[in-house]
Amino acid sequence: MKKILAIVLAMVMVLGAVSAMADITIVQNKVEIDAALQEYAAAYSAKTGANVKVITGGGSSDYNTVLKAEFASGSEPDIFVIEGPSGYELYKEKIATMNDAEWVQYTAAAYLDPNGDVVGFPVSVEGYGLAYNKDILDKAGIDPATLVNVDAYKAAFEKLDSMKAELGLDAIVAMAGGTATGMTWTTGLHNFNVYLTVGLDRNDTSIIDKVLAGEVDEERFHQYCEYVALLMQYCDPDLFVNGTQDMQLASFANGKTAFYHQGNWMDPNIVALGVDFPMAYAPHAFMHEDTDGILVNPPSWYVVNKTTGNYDEAVAFLNSIACTEEGHDYMVNKAAMVPAFTNVEIAPATPLSKSVMEWNAAGKTYSWQQYKLPDGFGMGTLGPIYELLANGTLDEAGFEAMVKAAIAGIAK
Amino acid sequence: MNERSGLSSKQRRKLTEFLFLVPTVLAFIMVIIIPFIYGIYYSFTDWNGVSTSANFIGLSNYKEIFTNDPQFLRSFLVTTEFTLFNVIAVNVVSFLLSLLVTSQVKGKNFYRAAYFVPNLIGGIVLGSIWQFVFANILPGIGKSLGWAFLSKSFITNANTVIGALVTVNTWQYAGYIMMIYVASIQGISRSVLEAAEVDGATYPTVVRHILMPLMANAFTISLFLTLTNSFKMYDVNLALTNGGPAGLVGTNIVNMSEFLALNIYNTAFKYSKMAQGQAKAVVFFVILMVVSLIQVSYNKSKEVEM
Repeated sequence: MKKILAIVLAMVMVLGAVSAMADITIVQNKVEIDAALQEYAAAYSAKTGANVKVITGGGSSDYNTVLKAEFASGSEPDIFVIEGPSGYELYKEKIATMNDAEWVQYTAAAYLDPNGDVVGFPVSVEGYGLAYNKDILDKAGIDPATLVNVDAYKAAFEKLDSMKAELGLDAIVAMAGGTATGMTWTTGLHNFNVYLTVGLDRNDTSIIDKVLAGEVDEERFHQYCEYVALLMQYCDPDLFVNGTQDMQLASFANGKTAFYHQGNWMDPNIVALGVDFPMAYAPHAFMHEDTDGILVNPPSWYVVNKTTGNYDEAVAFLNSIACTEEGHDYMVNKAAMVPAFTNVEIAPATPLSKSVMEWNAAGKTYSWQQYKLPDGFGMGTLGPIYELLANGTLDEAGFEAMVKAAIAGIAK
Repeated sequence: MNERSGLSSKQRRKLTEFLFLVPTVLAFIMVIIIPFIYGIYYSFTDWNGVSTSANFIGLSNYKEIFTNDPQFLRSFLVTTEFTLFNVIAVNVVSFLLSLLVTSQVKGKNFYRAAYFVPNLIGGIVLGSIWQFVFANILPGIGKSLGWAFLSKSFITNANTVIGALVTVNTWQYAGYIMMIYVASIQGISRSVLEAAEVDGATYPTVVRHILMPLMANAFTISLFLTLTNSFKMYDVNLALTNGGPAGLVGTNIVNMSEFLALNIYNTAFKYSKMAQGQAKAVVFFVILMVVSLIQVSYNKSKEVEM
């Protein structure tokens, strides 16, 4: 009896050691690619004998808290996601450099630490603007190519509004940014980034630097607030405050709204709903002068945790995504992402990713700076101000004053 | 045996008692006492939750909470408001339900089970279901019937959101408290009730002058449970409203239904101010302890012995 027990115990220990050696855990934030990544990880595990486990937190739940909980529980992930400088600063003691990894030669979008060392693997490039339903714009006689300044938008919104019944529209723009539904990232981060970068060179950080110093560029900021008020005027306040990501998409996908304030990460959901009308992105052109470009950036980077001792296994997994055909197939076809790597030859088939790829290829892009904002500022502090403008508690002037005060609060 | 261990039987019994206690005490120390002391320590530092270093900064976190944090003040007020209404609602409803299911009504066992069932659903699931009810179903009904008051969602209106939270929590928790009252009613001797009946007491008189005084210990425990439960409310708050809607109080924008527990969590995790979150948790603990001590000692004084 004792002998059997000893054998069993020994076997358990060996099993434990084996699985502990090959386990790689990824904590990532893109709910929409969860299924595709799980599938790819399973196929990779079957092929190489590594055991890759994917944990996802994001969308309406908050990725950063999931990640912190993983770290706090002591089960640190081997690969996790940073979304920019604030994530890097928070975890820099854990992040390994990957200068010699195979994938590095195929991309210009790697995340570099302040010393210029490669630390982050670009998950994809993503873009957003105002997606439009081309059928509806055609029926209203609006050429989307003209939507490059705020006056053109104003005219277009007015025209669509006057034809609402005829076109079967509930509202003109589908927006959701409620605190209750956790959608404040679309306003407090993505929409606010319009102010930070539209019309500027990709390396120009003057506006975000000012914000971080607690200041705004008065003229530019005033125009931005006018643009936000214009969007709010033509969106459905009920959908804005109560709507989830799915409800927002449903409004656009069912032809109840002409414009859609979301990025190309929604493509898998659009495909799943079987949407068949043509769509593409128009710029967030908030100024009177023309700004012809959408907002494109790697949204996030995979970084490798140097404290778990699985560096080689983790880098091998990342290499397999960037440097094998299966990896390319996963990124483009399965996860419907626009890859950040030059050695990928497949083009995306989904409508919004295709549009992002076209703007990107034409070089008409502005960068993302919103992740330089302090933790919680965009979603927690700015988001509620947009909500109050949408539900009518604040008017445009009140909105402008509140956002300005919130920005001034950063420097304190 | 005694000679071998060299212990008297009294000592052996003491040792046995001690050994039986060890696992529980050890677990209690590890998961309650030590984290609690750590928490107090961290509330005096600037730890962000991830960094390996934490600098001692004295009382700065506490000063910040009380002087420069409108959201914490709002959270405190709204939690108090919710607790007040919720304690009343849950106890009134569960007391009435307990009278119903101990009466001669047909199928009372079915009702007992039915009222208890919502308590078995997890708070997050329940919050999500009710969010759908408040955000889609009720406004849908309101719009199709043309009732203006129903056509707007209750959970995105600052004036009704607390009512919505009280409704959901009462629906979830009343069945549980009802069971405590039922047990208490069943523990009352039949002879007392029959004597009252013989004396010609009406049903309301029996409830008021016999049942309620004899159930005083059940009120103590039920009020304590609902009070602490309401004050610590987190899961339903998160899933149903996530602290929303946003609102304007004075010149500050705050989340109108962000209760203290959620506020502590958001401070620690969303804003990466773990130490300040800890300081809030310490304040929260002190408030909760004081309030519940007052409640228990007050209720204890009302209890009668048979």
